[in-house]
Amino acid sequence: MTRRFIVEPRGLASLKLRILVPVLSVLAALVVSGIFLLITGENPIAVYGQMIDAAFGSRRGISETLISSTPLILTGVAAALAFKMLVWNIGGEGQFIMGAIFASGVAIWLGPSAPAALALPAVILAGGLGGAVWASVAALPRVYLGTNEIITTLMLNFIALNFMNFLIFGSSSPWRDPEVATFPSGRPVPDNARLPEFFNRLDVGIFIAIALAIGAWYLVGKTRWGFAVRVVGDSPTTAEYAGITVPKKILAVFLLSGAFAGLAGALFVSGPVGALDPRSLDLGLGFTGIIVAALAGLNLIAVIPVAVLMGALNNAGPSLQSIGVPAATVTMLQGAILIFAVAGEFFIRHRIRRPEAEPEADAIGEAATA
Amino acid sequence: MNESQLLLTIVAAIGLGTPLIFATIGEIITERSGILNLGVQGMMLIGAVTGFWATFQTGNLILGVVIAMVCASALSAVHAFTSVTLRVNQIVSGLALALFGSGLASFLGRAGSNPLVGNPSRAQFEPLLEGGIADWPVVGPLIFGHDLLVYLSWIVAGAASYYLFRTKMGLSLRAVGEDPASAEAAGVHVSRVRYIHVLIGGALAGLGGAYFSLALTPTWQDDPIGAAGWIAIALVILASWRPWRAVFAAYLFGAAERVQFTLQTLGEPWSDIPSTILAMLPFLLAIIAMIVLTSGKRARFLGAPEALGIPYHREQR
Repeated sequence: MTRRFIVEPRGLASLKLRILVPVLSVLAALVVSGIFLLITGENPIAVYGQMIDAAFGSRRGISETLISSTPLILTGVAAALAFKMLVWNIGGEGQFIMGAIFASGVAIWLGPSAPAALALPAVILAGGLGGAVWASVAALPRVYLGTNEIITTLMLNFIALNFMNFLIFGSSSPWRDPEVATFPSGRPVPDNARLPEFFNRLDVGIFIAIALAIGAWYLVGKTRWGFAVRVVGDSPTTAEYAGITVPKKILAVFLLSGAFAGLAGALFVSGPVGALDPRSLDLGLGFTGIIVAALAGLNLIAVIPVAVLMGALNNAGPSLQSIGVPAATVTMLQGAILIFAVAGEFFIRHRIRRPEAEPEADAIGEAATA
Repeated sequence: MNESQLLLTIVAAIGLGTPLIFATIGEIITERSGILNLGVQGMMLIGAVTGFWATFQTGNLILGVVIAMVCASALSAVHAFTSVTLRVNQIVSGLALALFGSGLASFLGRAGSNPLVGNPSRAQFEPLLEGGIADWPVVGPLIFGHDLLVYLSWIVAGAASYYLFRTKMGLSLRAVGEDPASAEAAGVHVSRVRYIHVLIGGALAGLGGAYFSLALTPTWQDDPIGAAGWIAIALVILASWRPWRAVFAAYLFGAAERVQFTLQTLGEPWSDIPSTILAMLPFLLAIIAMIVLTSGKRARFLGAPEALGIPYHREQR
């Protein structure tokens, strides 16, 4: 039997390919979603045109797109950091919420009289701490007991969400605004703990997020610690032979991943949202971070532009309702993008070619040695 | 708590647990083949919306259930392709399926000039027997007062158990999940077995989703199934990959979901516990069960398929 195609593993994929695959993933997702739009009687071109216009068509659109992108840069880094080390932290959502709870809690506790130079850093650090603490609930059992983290992190998302709802809807906690009696809402974060805005509603959080992403890239890519962590990610056995304490590294990466998701929560409450507001925080930003990380090929710098793309989609969603198209179009599109991005991994890892006129056995032998 | 409230809670737990039984047994069958599909939430939602739609168009409940199973199975084929044929990461692929399925279901429920959202179903699953033996004390409501799909869930559990442990195909399935290379050497077509059981898992998840939209809350809303698809994934472990245990685990979680209503009826101080705290119960239960049951080598002992989540390369045996 001769084969029509030979699939063989390839070494390092070229930069061109590593950019081409995500671009094609997005295009394929646009086509698939377009089919569903057509089925339901919408014109996909008009819908996509409306989305581009809402996301980039005006100064306000651009600033709102960047506002939506800011948390996604950090939840994207959170997912990419963990997945690189084969730590399956699916709990970015809960860590994001816990970061928001810690950050807004510290802001409210410090009160309006604390100097901004103290309040802002304290609030942001509290967010990172909140995310790390929440990650530790899954990370410690994973590292010391061998408990699978996929399900624990997933379940912790729902506990965090319900805990936030409890603080606002279910109790008269310090997070709840005592002034508004009609509908429970979050107590506003004092102005001294709010990030300064510079372009419409866009605040400096975007720069903090980009700096943190670059910092994570430097830490993993350029330091001794990062090298040890990468060895663990490639092969825990090799790492052990090299004298690296594997559990400690896994724990550190897990907590760092949680901290990044928590930082996203902090920047969101001290930035555009300005309170622990469940309706503005329960947007699936942790899950979208996984899409960002996958589409970026787990590259911590590529996370930044991909987060802007996903932020643009998130920003465009609600505007679709004005032309009678469900906002869920965006969720569908993002899910499709992730499906194609993960399928595209195959083409980054493998080479497909036609066999030359040689016996099959040789071709397989060649593939095995390649 | 008096006897009748306990009975009401158990009966409600059976209702709330039924969609979990279908989805959990589906995922057990999929995982037994060595494929982890985290997309249960997406498949259930697709089942919920397409089943609702089909019944909404035709008034036919059985057709709704069939359409739900076919459509959810079609979605699971995407995961089968990426994880069996392309051999990419099953965790990310499953999550992709969950996100896409949720988005698509919400989209389909709201799209078009006459959207489904807010509409009641044209038909819904009702208890098969009313009066007569269904009114017998205790056993009446516990055993005879249910709708068709509750009985189907018991049949599915029995059939899945028989299939897994008493048939030759079930043996092949388990062999593929434990040691695909040896199974292949023994003449089992690993890829085919994996494809088939991912599709069966998808169909059962779709059936579970349809139970929400055609029996539990027969009105289309954006978020009709809560977190059932995610809980089903945890239940697989709690049930240690065995169908009958899935039934009891599902009822336990059904009861945990029901607790907030039961406590309301008990008066103070129980009714003062905020619902947001009680809503955490199923998830807390899942985490504690995970830590207690699966830490260290216990997961293997419980019956986790050895090759779960690991892509199989025939050429690189």
